[in-house]
Amino acid sequence: MADYAHPEVLVDTNWVRDHLDDPKVRLVEVDVDTKSYDAGHIPGAVGFNWQTQLQDQVRRDIISQQDLGKLLSAAGIKPADTIVLYGDNSNWFACYAFWILKYYGHADVRLLNGGRLKWLNESDKPMTTEKPSPVPSNYKINGTHPELRAKLPDVLKIVEDHGQNLIDVRSTDEYTGKIIAPPGMSETAQRPGHVPTARSIPWSLAANTTDGTFKSRDELRAVYFEKGGVDAAKPTVAYCRIGERSSHTWFVLTYLLGQNNVRNYDGSWTEYGSVVGVPIER
Amino acid sequence: MPEVIPVEKQTTDIAANHHDTRVYESIFDMLPSVENPTPLVRINRLNPEPGLSLFAKLEWVNPFGSVKDRAAAYMLRELERTDSVSATRGIVEATSGNTGLSLAGMAGAKGYHATVVVPDQIPEEKKVLLKIVGAQLEVLNDSLCPTPGLGDGSINMARTHARAEPDKYVHPNQYVNQQNVQAHYETTGPEIWRQTEGKVTHLFVSLGTCGTATGTSRFLKSKNPNIRVVAVQPSAGHDVPGLRNVAQLEVSELFDRALIDDLLEIEYELAYHRALDLCRKEGLLAGPSSGLIFEGARRIAVRDKVGLGVMIFCDNVFKYTSSMVRHLPELTDNAVPRMRE
Repeated sequence: MADYAHPEVLVDTNWVRDHLDDPKVRLVEVDVDTKSYDAGHIPGAVGFNWQTQLQDQVRRDIISQQDLGKLLSAAGIKPADTIVLYGDNSNWFACYAFWILKYYGHADVRLLNGGRLKWLNESDKPMTTEKPSPVPSNYKINGTHPELRAKLPDVLKIVEDHGQNLIDVRSTDEYTGKIIAPPGMSETAQRPGHVPTARSIPWSLAANTTDGTFKSRDELRAVYFEKGGVDAAKPTVAYCRIGERSSHTWFVLTYLLGQNNVRNYDGSWTEYGSVVGVPIER
Repeated sequence: MPEVIPVEKQTTDIAANHHDTRVYESIFDMLPSVENPTPLVRINRLNPEPGLSLFAKLEWVNPFGSVKDRAAAYMLRELERTDSVSATRGIVEATSGNTGLSLAGMAGAKGYHATVVVPDQIPEEKKVLLKIVGAQLEVLNDSLCPTPGLGDGSINMARTHARAEPDKYVHPNQYVNQQNVQAHYETTGPEIWRQTEGKVTHLFVSLGTCGTATGTSRFLKSKNPNIRVVAVQPSAGHDVPGLRNVAQLEVSELFDRALIDDLLEIEYELAYHRALDLCRKEGLLAGPSSGLIFEGARRIAVRDKVGLGVMIFCDNVFKYTSSMVRHLPELTDNAVPRMRE
């Protein structure tokens, strides 16, 4: 892990085990399958539901500044705490939570490398169904970091002037337009395809499938720069379907590969693929 | 004239555990064995190559309706032998249905609780049946982006339950449990050897947990190393429960590639068409996995021309009517009866 640009944001399972009783370390689990936390989680971890607790429930948007403050307060988290995120599927949604927390300025956010799977695969690591009862804090969010987030006009500007890397992290079939969304997805778009100039680099290429950990820095360089064609000298915007998979790629590019100016376009294809009149490629 | 015994001298009990009269003390006593094998039935009209006889081993005759009864019985027996189950400590298992049915059915008959974790895409019939036999059912929401390993989230969910609540659950884990293999080494293989009088030349199996393939072929090859084991797999994107495409086999530690002589990947739609053929032309109410195996056997029969092949037909079609309709929509033609005049 020392090989990464910012190794301090990754912790391993032994570090988490050794800090289970550290009051300044707050574990937060965020899963694709929200049943996972209830079935068993790392002792002391709270669980956040990405659908109902990390997204605005009325309009299409991430959780508001005010609501995130309430969520973190209820979880007993303070601004000076170290939040350690983890989840299933190679930390897919844990990375989404990571992006949101950094967008809203939490200082010390880390990721358990390998997430739930790595923890589960180590027989000395305990799990529990007991939910913690944290003492509520009074978490105040002071502002946002809009430089981490891309919006539709930003993407359209890239299409026009090719000034930045655009990475489509969805599956190949989604990128080519063979399918609009994976089978069974309720969030889809009016048209299939991809944003012109976007390179197809599926998010899962960044993770080791055997244990959910991130690939080495050299392997990641090969994925994004050598094979993927990403220009390391340019800023980058990553997108997927609803902005979660692209958070994983945002994390990799920013913290593991040390790229500057990486943004997550969370509107992603569910927005772009339904906008009237924008260019689409297949 | 048989002697008439006065009512007051009659006993109400009858002799049980006789395979010839098929009277048993419990469901467990009718589990398959060399003395009580599941039937072999010859394929007559559909065999393209008379020189290579094909026989179907009808595993749906087992008490809970599938080949999985064998592995479930062995795994449960081992749990009991090691005092790993009790009235308070039950079973949790990931399954595409059949193992869950077997385990939950057996557990219920013995007074243990059973939780089964299933993927959402299994047929509705299987979900209902699991509840009927008393399983606590957990259905994983798979309306999510496909990702490596996501389809196996049910296994990790079962592992999580057992890790987080070890006093409540034990996880047999059919994917790594050697009792799965042992069941077939001690029953399926010896049955086939005896039923075919040692003349079997080909064994046709599908691959899921790989317990059937590994245990059965290991036994048969110990008797005759020249027996060809043909494993049939559905093409990628299939929806045949219990079967894994070759690319998915990484999750089964029981897979022994060295035992497999031919590995055939077959277009998964044929599973349903061939199952229909078996139902209509052989009177064998075979499920889709059996249809897939039969297609593989057909091809090998044409290739090898001579021998005696045994196909493991894992279960029948009754649990898959919704799947059959999905793949063969003509099955719903004229489904609405005509109104009376």
